[in-house]
Amino acid sequence: MFKRYKPFLRASAMDLAVYRFNLIIWLLVTVLQMVCMVFLWFSVYRSSAGGINTIINGFNYKEMIVYTVFTTIFTFVTFNNETLWLIYSDIRKGTIGNYLIKPISYRGKFIAGAIGGYLIMTLMFGLPLFAISYTVFGLIGFITIPTWYDLVFHILLFLVAQFLAVLLNDTITYIFGLFCFYTSSGWGLNSLRATLTSFFSGTLLPLAFFPPVFKDIVNWMPFAGLSQNPILILLLKYDYLSCLKVLGLSIAWIIVLELLAKLIFHNGIKKVTVQGG
Amino acid sequence: MIELINLTKEFKKPIRGKGLSGMIKTLFSRKYEVIEAVKDVSFKINEGEIVGYIGSNGAGKSTTIKMMCGILNPTRGKVLIDGVEPYQKRKQIASKIGVVFGQKTQLWWDIPLIESFKVLKEIYQISDKDYQERLQFLFDVLSLDKFLSQPVRTLSLGQRMRADLAASLLHNPEILFLDEPTIGLDVLAKQKIREAIKAMNAKYKTTVILTTHDMNDIENLCSKVIMIEKGSIIYDGPLMKIKHKFGNIKTLVLSVNPDLDIGSVAKFDGDIDIKKEEDRVDIRFNADKIKLESVINYAFSVLKATDMKVSDISIEDVVKKILSEQEKGK
Repeated sequence: MFKRYKPFLRASAMDLAVYRFNLIIWLLVTVLQMVCMVFLWFSVYRSSAGGINTIINGFNYKEMIVYTVFTTIFTFVTFNNETLWLIYSDIRKGTIGNYLIKPISYRGKFIAGAIGGYLIMTLMFGLPLFAISYTVFGLIGFITIPTWYDLVFHILLFLVAQFLAVLLNDTITYIFGLFCFYTSSGWGLNSLRATLTSFFSGTLLPLAFFPPVFKDIVNWMPFAGLSQNPILILLLKYDYLSCLKVLGLSIAWIIVLELLAKLIFHNGIKKVTVQGG
Repeated sequence: MIELINLTKEFKKPIRGKGLSGMIKTLFSRKYEVIEAVKDVSFKINEGEIVGYIGSNGAGKSTTIKMMCGILNPTRGKVLIDGVEPYQKRKQIASKIGVVFGQKTQLWWDIPLIESFKVLKEIYQISDKDYQERLQFLFDVLSLDKFLSQPVRTLSLGQRMRADLAASLLHNPEILFLDEPTIGLDVLAKQKIREAIKAMNAKYKTTVILTTHDMNDIENLCSKVIMIEKGSIIYDGPLMKIKHKFGNIKTLVLSVNPDLDIGSVAKFDGDIDIKKEEDRVDIRFNADKIKLESVINYAFSVLKATDMKVSDISIEDVVKKILSEQEKGK
């Protein structure tokens, strides 16, 4: 049953490996942004009333910098999602027909692609970057290294959380992509998606910085599982019970959003006029 | 078996105002006009038949095909393939059908052709044995070996079409939909495509539904013709019957002495149409009413023909005549 989707998994992995140059440029941009953020946080902490050792919303400056670096690596590895643009071009060029005549589900093809991309990105960048930065932060005392079993368990939980984040991100992107069925245009949809995602996922700044009630709402939204929660799991900011809670929340959201996506697809596909020919 | 029952597809098209002010107006109020691309179409196609589905541009051919392969949902009516509606059980029907849209490729643009085939092998879950056997068969009838390792974007149109046809046949579909498979191809490439379709139909009893503007395709391949015009079926029956719609029209082409004056020789006793140009004379007549023998006699004894060719009316002429009558009727 899943075998039919193997080529799509392989193809998206191969695409990323082939367009290495693109990735390197993207990596450079990401690193530059990250450096800016690190300096920004430094000056925020230094200029606050209590000096460099102030704790802001539960983060001291070391934790804040580790959080910033880790989210950057994390989003670089998991957010390289082409789903919306692929749907957009399928609609524009009418190539959606090519997939609809094959014995595969349109959704399944994208899930396979997302997983393929994630695997290759984790191997090429995720594992080495996390290993290096974790070691460096450990050596300079930014991270207190926990007992070995805590570390192993949290890394395992983190990997699960990361995988769920990939699925969740792809589901959200897919839903936004499906709106191309109605709009036949992608730029606006993608900007909206990117803004919502980076704001509510804690990529821009941890959700602890939001005002109280708003913060609670955002924590229940699907976006927190996209980057903040996996990183906080890795940094041992959650006890085991909380870890299970946030993982459960992500799984619940994936199910709900997949059902919603199914509904939109079935409605939208009736509106599709396959262009040309 | 394929069955279409009162199949109708309507498209909603926004009416746009002219110019910039019109564009701004359409942003706020949208009026739609409903276009019926396919109206109340019903027909049946049996297993193993090769059916020509013809009509002018925009007549509704592709829209019908897209509904038959499950890409488009009909507005009303239904399509049944072995009793199943393809747009409702899309995945189930997909393994039974093969589709070629002549105007766009289904192959992966950047990867070598053979890799595309391997991807299809996985998608359709074809066993190694079946894959090898069919690939060999398709190689033989379509001569793909010369460009098998080239990326699809580097293929010529004729090569690409052969590759697309092979791709649609790899999983041995029961039904093959071909939407203009010979569009833009040279004579030899067309020939190859036709031979492959014939071979596939003979070997695997594949049902073929073919749309085309090349009436040679129809005459070479199809036993049955369905004609659609402005969304409605205007003919559904055997090829021979549509050819004789205006009687059994035959044309005699003669070589004669260029100095021969048609006006001065004895007239033929009956309703025939004679045209002379240089050393060539064309005689058109209805063979149901006038004996071929008597016309040939007349050609040799009166017109002193030195050479002669008899040909049936081409389907192209019939279609032209039907279409122009439709135009006049409107």
